[in-house]
Amino acid sequence: MKIKVKSQQDWWAGLMFIAFGVFFIVVALGTPEFFDKLVGSRLIPGYQMGSSVRMGPAYFPVVLGGILAALGLLVVLDSLVEEGEPVATFHFRPLIWIGLSSLAFAYLLKPLGLVLASIILVFISAYGGHEFKWKEVGVMSVVLAVFSVLVFVKGLALPFPVCPDFIEVCPIR
Amino acid sequence: MARLLVLVWLAAAPFFAAAQSGHSAGWPTRPLRLIVPYAAGGPVDISARLLAAKLQEDLGQPVVPDNRPGAGGNIGVDLVAKSAPDGYALVMSAIATLAINPSLYPGLPYDPLRDLRHVALLVQVPNVLIVTNDLPAKNVQELIVLAKQRPGKLDFGSGSTGSTGHLAGEMFKQMTGTYMVHIPYKGSAPALADMMAGRVHLMFDNLASALPSIRTGKVRALATTTLRRSSFLPEAPTLDESGLKGFDMTTWWGVSAPEKTPQPVVERLSAAILKAMDAPDFKERLRGMGSDAPAIRTPEQFTAFVSNELRVYSALVKRSGAKAD
Amino acid sequence: MEGIFSNLAIGFVEVFKLQAVTMGGFTLQHVPFNIIMCLIGCLLGTLIGVLPGIGPVATIAMLLPVTFNLSPIAALIMLAGIYYGAQYGGSTTAILVNIPGESSSVVTCLDGYQMARQGRAGPALATAAIGSFFAGCVSTLVVAMFAPPLAEVALKFGPAEYFSLMVLGLVAAVVLAHGSLIKAIAMVILGLLLGLVGTDVNSGVLRFAFGISELADGIGFVTVAMGMFGICEIIANLEQKEHREVFTSSVGRMMPSKEDWKRMVAPVLRGTVLGSALGILPGGGALLASFGAYTLEKKVSKYAHEFGKGAIEGVAAPESANNAGAQTSFIPLLTLGIPSNAVMALMIGAMMIQGIAPGPQVMTERPQLFWGMICSMWVGNLMLVILNLPLIGMWIKLLTVPYRYLYPSILLFMAIGVFSISNQPFDCFLMACFGLLGYICVKLGCEPAPLILGFILGPLMEENLRRAMLLSRGDPWVFISPSKPISMGFLIAATALLVIIALPALRKKREEVFVEE
Repeated sequence: MKIKVKSQQDWWAGLMFIAFGVFFIVVALGTPEFFDKLVGSRLIPGYQMGSSVRMGPAYFPVVLGGILAALGLLVVLDSLVEEGEPVATFHFRPLIWIGLSSLAFAYLLKPLGLVLASIILVFISAYGGHEFKWKEVGVMSVVLAVFSVLVFVKGLALPFPVCPDFIEVCPIR
Repeated sequence: MARLLVLVWLAAAPFFAAAQSGHSAGWPTRPLRLIVPYAAGGPVDISARLLAAKLQEDLGQPVVPDNRPGAGGNIGVDLVAKSAPDGYALVMSAIATLAINPSLYPGLPYDPLRDLRHVALLVQVPNVLIVTNDLPAKNVQELIVLAKQRPGKLDFGSGSTGSTGHLAGEMFKQMTGTYMVHIPYKGSAPALADMMAGRVHLMFDNLASALPSIRTGKVRALATTTLRRSSFLPEAPTLDESGLKGFDMTTWWGVSAPEKTPQPVVERLSAAILKAMDAPDFKERLRGMGSDAPAIRTPEQFTAFVSNELRVYSALVKRSGAKAD
Repeated sequence: MEGIFSNLAIGFVEVFKLQAVTMGGFTLQHVPFNIIMCLIGCLLGTLIGVLPGIGPVATIAMLLPVTFNLSPIAALIMLAGIYYGAQYGGSTTAILVNIPGESSSVVTCLDGYQMARQGRAGPALATAAIGSFFAGCVSTLVVAMFAPPLAEVALKFGPAEYFSLMVLGLVAAVVLAHGSLIKAIAMVILGLLLGLVGTDVNSGVLRFAFGISELADGIGFVTVAMGMFGICEIIANLEQKEHREVFTSSVGRMMPSKEDWKRMVAPVLRGTVLGSALGILPGGGALLASFGAYTLEKKVSKYAHEFGKGAIEGVAAPESANNAGAQTSFIPLLTLGIPSNAVMALMIGAMMIQGIAPGPQVMTERPQLFWGMICSMWVGNLMLVILNLPLIGMWIKLLTVPYRYLYPSILLFMAIGVFSISNQPFDCFLMACFGLLGYICVKLGCEPAPLILGFILGPLMEENLRRAMLLSRGDPWVFISPSKPISMGFLIAATALLVIIALPALRKKREEVFVEE
């Protein structure tokens, strides 16, 4: 039997909600005993449920997770009945490059200092855009790096390293 | 070309010389980091910033407070416990991180006695037992009677599970054999608010934060938690006087360093901190927080104090059954 | 009534006082120092409000040591200026680049950004500034006249009342979405769940952290907002196949049109009232005010169909509400010594540094301080509107910069802001994750705004629910008991609102069913 999905968006949205709901329930309650016996160890320790009088840390998440999963189910059912939008195509290129640029910045800030990390972020994120002209991006990255140092380190006194680790003493602090 | 190179080298030489990190000889030669394991603006943070400003004058190098909040203070303390013991990383350690958390949090990543050198005790503030104005108990004895008449009907608030306010309440319950329900809040301010409104019956709050409310009659103080009466509230008896013999609890914090920090550095640091604490304006500011100058002055005294507190609170936490994950 | 005028007189005298100032060896006489501090605070506040990721909390914390050497009134005036200056600045980024500078600016993003994309950034910014100014003036007056009785009202709000208020708020959050109702509710609940990550107040247990110590205090609002609004928006803009500029090049007028002015009046008034009322509640009052005002407008306005596509009411109401809330949130601090939010907690710290014990006695023992602060709030609002209106021209020019220059800058400032939360790379990693989540949600037709509101309210709701149950010893009827009329009132209102929302959707479904038959 082939299920005709009338609204692709709703179909996947519903599944996402069900997944999140179940995830929170499982983490809050922990893996059931028989499962632990099978695997040999307590895979996910849960939290206490408590009673409705004294709610434990698991109470709220389990209830909410349950509601979320139920709503997800409703959305999935709805997707089979109502006409809806198809899921627009995922464009991986900007997603990857923008994400990468922020990660690179975050993890390179301490070793390389603000100036270099900013320049790297600008380059990588510019690469994810429509146009990429080396000279243009180069100038922009230097301008932004200098601006950031002036405003954030000098102006707002944020404790960011400005120079890379391998330069022992930084002329700017 | 060669001349250019020599010039460059000469210009750079001072930078390289300055980059030699001092090994206790001439310590400190570069800025110190004072980790504050709490969010900015709280009493620990404020006293740290005041201290940093004073230390800067004495040591000749900037002392930079660095806020690293999280996990009740454990993250910041662990950071310093694992730092290089060169005297440039210090942490504001407190009763919570040194004496309470080791038994409250299973799997604490540091050992308060083995991984840290305790340099100086900065602040010691008593707690005060306050009750709402509607409560028909005018002193501690009447409170105990009331609590015994209504087991489980009285609520006591605290700033968080495992805070000194909470544990003071637990100690009280154990010593008097009463049962009261603990209501935790996010910080003592909301707890105090609910107390003023009469929704929570009593609370063991930090004297500094409770004092204005006591003075303006919004809540009533029944007793303080130290052995000696507090100079800020001399009319309030101590719990010890009121029948709970030996009850002595304060909220305290001080400065600690990694365990292997060289002794000369520790002594220099201790001397600088004591000098700051003796300065009249610093004393005045700390008094504003409800702290009299602590009697404990040397690192050895502080370490002995920490060790004792750890013993007392470990036992208390275990008996009360409080746990954080 | 005369008491008020004499008190305000004390305040204004204090604010405009001429003092001798010594700096670096020079002594200048007759300097209106307090006014200057107010200006500095407002400027700084606006700047950090505009910069995404950096908020008043971090800035005030950093400036606390500076306040040691200032007089108490000067210190508090400056810090307060930073706080409400940040509200003005936060609306600017919300409108220009869809990034909420403050949690209360989330709602401004919805219509403000759409207005900007249509070339109406000028009127949007002007509306925000003017609405904020009006609300600031009125609420300052409210603070001056009704501070003590309002504080008493605030005290009447216990955990049960807060919980019911938040339920009402969450139902209102659902109204924010203009798409599928069920998906909006699901997003709210997902937000609630995500807000639960971290240490549980009532038991001390660390939840959903999977051993990552950085999550011990939960996920920060800034991280989620930057990720779901900022990063997501940039990616969405970049993936347009045709190289189309994000903002129309026809920049349009700077000031609102006559039609705009007419439409602004009622929302501003309603927003001011709501904001003044909700701001006094410690813990989330100002945020509830802004999206409560939006919801109210959407239900009441005859332009309701425009909401979410650039309705000016959608900017005027929340902006007035959040500024009114910002002013009245000083009330618990100044009258009871209780902080309403993290910024107020820092103000307490500042007062303690100055040796002032915050509490009910400040009003009587230090009238110059109390009234001086209140008057400085009015002065500050005036300064901010004078500052912000001309800046609109500059902001509009900025929007004409080609997007390929704009977005790396925005991204860099966001990354710096998020990193500075705890100086760890983990927060940026989280931001990227939320960016991904936001992207997926948008593709699946789910809106991020309800999620972020659920995220903020979730932990507060749970905390209050459990505390109310603890205090009532497990009696679930405590929320609608006659002894708690406020709580009952909110829950009734919430149910009513839910019915009002659900009714049109249900009716539509029934119509469709009939048509098919």
